[in-house]
Amino acid sequence: MTTDPPAPGEAMTTVSIVAGPLVGPVLRRVVGMLAARADLPLDRLDDAVLVADLIAARAPAHVAGSRVDVALEPGARSLSLRVGPLREGGGQALIVDAAVPGVGNVIEQLADELTVSPEEAGEFLLVRLAYAATAA
Amino acid sequence: MREDRSSPGLGEGDASGGSDVRLTLPARPENVAVVRHVLGAFAEALQLPDPVIEDMRLAVTEACTNVVRHAYADGEPGPVEILIRPEGDTLLVVVSDQGRGLGPGTSSTGPGLGLPLIAALSHSFEIEQVPDNGARLRMSFRRGPHLELA
Repeated sequence: MTTDPPAPGEAMTTVSIVAGPLVGPVLRRVVGMLAARADLPLDRLDDAVLVADLIAARAPAHVAGSRVDVALEPGARSLSLRVGPLREGGGQALIVDAAVPGVGNVIEQLADELTVSPEEAGEFLLVRLAYAATAA
Repeated sequence: MREDRSSPGLGEGDASGGSDVRLTLPARPENVAVVRHVLGAFAEALQLPDPVIEDMRLAVTEACTNVVRHAYADGEPGPVEILIRPEGDTLLVVVSDQGRGLGPGTSSTGPGLGLPLIAALSHSFEIEQVPDNGARLRMSFRRGPHLELA
C-alpha cells in the first residue's frame, strides 16, 4: 500500500515527543511506516529508520525546548523530515553529532538533501531521503 | 515543505514536564495503522501488560476510525490528533479532530458499536464537543492488568 502525497490544505504528519526514552521507539515506527508507504525500497527504508534513530538519539541535546518535534512529508518515493525548532546552532550541531567513528557522518551520507533552515521559531533541520537519487 | 496548518486541538495544555507523545496525521484510513504502531511503541517502552495494550489499541483504533469516517465531509482534508500521556497509574489517550465531531454522522452505515466498545475497553472516557472545531475523545486506561471481580 502506498500513500498519495498530501493534498493541498491537508494536515502534515507531525510527531511531538517529550525528550526522553520514548523519542526513539515512537519516531522510528512513524518514519518506518511512512517510508514504506512512500514506496521506498527496503534499503532506503532501512536508511530512513537509521536516520530516525540518529535524530532521536541526538536531537534532544539540541532542541529549543523540552520536546523533539518532527514533521514528516511523504512524497513520490521520498520522505522528508523537518526536525525542530532547534536552538541556535542546533541544526549543524545535530549533523555533527551524527558522526560515527570509523564510519563518518551517517545522516550526511544517507540523506539526499540536508539543510539547516533558520526560522523565527528557531532552526530546523530538513532531511530528505529519496529513491531516485540513489538509483541514479 | 508546506507549512503545518494543523493546530494542537488536544486541549491538554503543555505537558513539557511529562513524557507524552503528540501525533498529528491527515485523517486517512491508512494513518490509523500509524497510530496503532505508535501505541505499540509507547506500550513497549512502558512495559504495559498485553491485555492493556490490546484494549488500548482497539479503543484508539475505533476512535481514530470515527474521525476518519465521520469528522470531515467527503474529500475535505483535516487532521486527526492523538495525545498519549501516562498519568499516575493510568494512561490518558485523547483523540481529537477539527471537523464535525466524533459522533456517528448521517452517512453512517455501520452498527454504531464504536463508542460502546470504547466505553467497555477503557477505564473512563468522555466526549467533548468543541463548537465549530471538532471534538475530543478522552480515554484513560489502567496501566496494570484489569481484574474482573466475580
